[in-house]
Amino acid sequence: MLGVMYALVAVGFTLFFGVLDVIHFSHGDIFMLGAFTGLTVLAGLKAAGVGGALLALPLTFAASILVTGAIGVLAERVCVKPLAGTSPLMTLLATLSLGLVIREAVLIFYPRGADPKPFPQLLPQGGVELGGVAIRYENLAILGIGLAAMVAVDLVIRRTRMGAAIRAVAQEPEAAQMMGVNLDRTVDATFFLGSGLAAVAGILSGLYYSEIHFIMGITGGVIGFSAAAIGGLGNVYGAIIGGLLFGVLQTTAAALIPRGSEFRDVVAFAVVMVFLVFKPSGILGEKSVERV
Amino acid sequence: MSRDLAGVWLAEAAVFALVVAGILAERPWALGATGGALVAAGALVRFVPRLRAALAGAFARRRAAALAGGAVLALALPLALRSSPYWTFVATLALLYVTTGQGLNFQIGTAGVINLAGAAFAGLGGYAVGLLTVAGGWPAWLAVLVGPWAAVLVGTILFVPILKTRGHYLALVTIAFVFIFNILVNNLEFTGGPQGIKNIPTLSLGGYAFTTRPALAGVELPAHANFYYAALVMAGLTTWVLRRLHDSWLGLVLNTLRDDEIAARCCGVSVTRGKLLAFSIGNFFIGLGGAFYAVVVGFVSPPDFDFGYSLVMLSVIIIGGVDSIPGVVLGACLLVPLPERFRFLHEYRLLLYGIVIVVMLLYRPRGLWPARIRRYR
Amino acid sequence: MSAAPNLLDVTGLTVRFGGLVALDGVDVVVAEGETVGVIGPNGSGKTTLFNALTGLLAPAAGDVVFLGRRLTGLEAHAIARLGIARTFQASRLCLDLSAFDNILIGMHARRRTGLLDSVVRRGRLVGEMRAAIERASHLLALFNRDLPRRGFERVGQLPQIDRRRVEICRALAAGPRLLLLDEPSAGMNPEETAELMRDLRIVRDEMPGLSVVIIEHDMFVIEGVSQRVVAFNYGRKIAEGSFAEVARHAEVRAAYLGTETAHA
Repeated sequence: MLGVMYALVAVGFTLFFGVLDVIHFSHGDIFMLGAFTGLTVLAGLKAAGVGGALLALPLTFAASILVTGAIGVLAERVCVKPLAGTSPLMTLLATLSLGLVIREAVLIFYPRGADPKPFPQLLPQGGVELGGVAIRYENLAILGIGLAAMVAVDLVIRRTRMGAAIRAVAQEPEAAQMMGVNLDRTVDATFFLGSGLAAVAGILSGLYYSEIHFIMGITGGVIGFSAAAIGGLGNVYGAIIGGLLFGVLQTTAAALIPRGSEFRDVVAFAVVMVFLVFKPSGILGEKSVERV
Repeated sequence: MSRDLAGVWLAEAAVFALVVAGILAERPWALGATGGALVAAGALVRFVPRLRAALAGAFARRRAAALAGGAVLALALPLALRSSPYWTFVATLALLYVTTGQGLNFQIGTAGVINLAGAAFAGLGGYAVGLLTVAGGWPAWLAVLVGPWAAVLVGTILFVPILKTRGHYLALVTIAFVFIFNILVNNLEFTGGPQGIKNIPTLSLGGYAFTTRPALAGVELPAHANFYYAALVMAGLTTWVLRRLHDSWLGLVLNTLRDDEIAARCCGVSVTRGKLLAFSIGNFFIGLGGAFYAVVVGFVSPPDFDFGYSLVMLSVIIIGGVDSIPGVVLGACLLVPLPERFRFLHEYRLLLYGIVIVVMLLYRPRGLWPARIRRYR
Repeated sequence: MSAAPNLLDVTGLTVRFGGLVALDGVDVVVAEGETVGVIGPNGSGKTTLFNALTGLLAPAAGDVVFLGRRLTGLEAHAIARLGIARTFQASRLCLDLSAFDNILIGMHARRRTGLLDSVVRRGRLVGEMRAAIERASHLLALFNRDLPRRGFERVGQLPQIDRRRVEICRALAAGPRLLLLDEPSAGMNPEETAELMRDLRIVRDEMPGLSVVIIEHDMFVIEGVSQRVVAFNYGRKIAEGSFAEVARHAEVRAAYLGTETAHA
């Protein structure tokens, strides 16, 4: 479950790295923004009288994906692309600061932003027992939506022209341009896609934890990035595997360690640290090798 | 010759007077006037080439005198601010940010070692002091000297393996670390949990307790001035040491490592050794700032050392200019007092820091006081 | 051929990138004071050879012996300190640092002062730096008498030919026994290339014991400076000898011009 959400965020990180060779440090906060946008849309829909899950949920997803995707593109245009050619340090600092801006903006401008916000329970409650294991419908729904999103991404990347363009730019930007690929539009599309996925992940996170908090982007970003790194930056399937792996690791560790659920975040970060210390270039290998 | 001298000292005195006036101004119009005057002066120097060249030349020719003048003014600051102990404290805080900033700058700016856990290393220094004094009964001054080594030790142990990898992984690990640190000190008993460690004894040197009100030139100053002067010495020493390290073989090696690791390796530079050295030296000074903070404020608690402060430290460096020693001083002197003075901005502080960093990186990536060519003086 | 042991002895060097064999059992020998030219089409393994020699790449098989010491397995910085210096195909200078700084880094392995001197006994450091800058000026002046005056300027502001010179000076500053030059004339027009050749001859005159291996595409340069030429193709050495011999070699001509003209 957790893994699915991490995987969606991780895919974004890995796509951005593939296409622009940048680590987009504010992607985690985009994930948070997606959750908050979803909450706002839901509140709006409720006020407008549309309360039923069947209608509200898809509308929320759609609206959040569009808005968050657009903001992602805006972030890229303002902050990421202009600095993409300069040193990696600059992009890192710039995107980190952009994340700070997004975070603080939500804190300041969202009513009572500092408090965690309850997220409506729109998914079917209750569950079923299968062979001694309790399975909740809610988790199944989350899993299902997440998987659907991943399948959608896979289809886009493998079957559409834009997907092919993204892959081409990720491998050889210059060759791709010579073949007629519009670099700017492709980068925009990549950021829209990645940010949209993050929005889905954000809403799923809200549904899963029944609440969202303006700092969820930091954790989400760190874990999402680590998951992408584990899978090998630039490798979309690696990112998905990394995200799922991470989710499993975190849940298992939290179950095993006493007071594990309190220290849930510490466990996650510790896993990140341990993993990066010993295998930084990931399971499936990183995208590029520097030419000498 | 004496025109240079006059120019340098007049410029320094004018800035000093305007800044102090701005700090102490009671009425909005007074604040506006001094602020306006400062901005106008800055614009004049920036955009009128002859004035700029004349001033730059004067300062270059009279470096020693300029430094002396600055030192005198720095010493006189508590005198000028004596009516406000709070502002003496803010000045002390700015000096602490200079100390941690120089350390962080040595890591990020000089060596390109991306440390986003500045707050955690400062926290290690602060908590070490807290534990040594409260639980261990150590005198405060000794704890402050020993505390930073906790930061160095932890940094070395945890990061030796990761330093060999590419920059963005280190950045990530440091982010993870600062959160782990924060959650741990918040939840562990021996660090006092969410309350932190209280009642850290104040500094006392050779019988002179820092709570006594000192006198300068016959005028009594608030007790905080003691800390200000101690911090001034600390920040001054830090800047002096790091400037000398920067303008030496080590600084050159670290710059080369930062700019082109492969070329550095082929010139005989050991990457691991260089990065570890920069990381450790930087962590010492970051820890020192945190350690001193503990005795100034008298307590340490988890919210004092969270990720947000890492970003504040970062903004100090970026505004001044990465790898720029004077830039760090400028950055701290701008970023620390301004949100205090303009209280209505306080809530928006972090938001503004973030925006400022992004804008600076886009339009003035070298900072307000860019690093200069090395001259090995 | 001199009876003295070779400076550099490469035997059976093989480098693989995944499935790709970049160097395939290469044998190369460099004697003291010799200038060897290396030619071959793009991708034939020339730069890979340099990278393997300098420790940037780990060979899959083979041995490299330099001054009687095995280099295989050593780290790049250790190899550099043994006396091998190089330049890079895409010039690797720190553009924001001064020209002097870029040369000084070449000398840092031989410094006598330490951290303590940098902070406390500053006079010693300043003295050592002054001497180092003197040496850097001397090296720069060999190529261009006006260059030392610009020594404290950012190297990125210098014209390309002068930047190449700075890079060569950086390599020379370390006092190496073996200098590896990777396509120094890349991107230069004929005038600049002639100046480069002059520069290389100056290097040879100034340091007669220095061995040089130079990768080049410009045959004019190769012919002008090398005493011996080695030709590569597909990671293998295909010819060796004087420039004239190698230029006549059928396989070399095939590699460059295609098989139809090889036997013309």
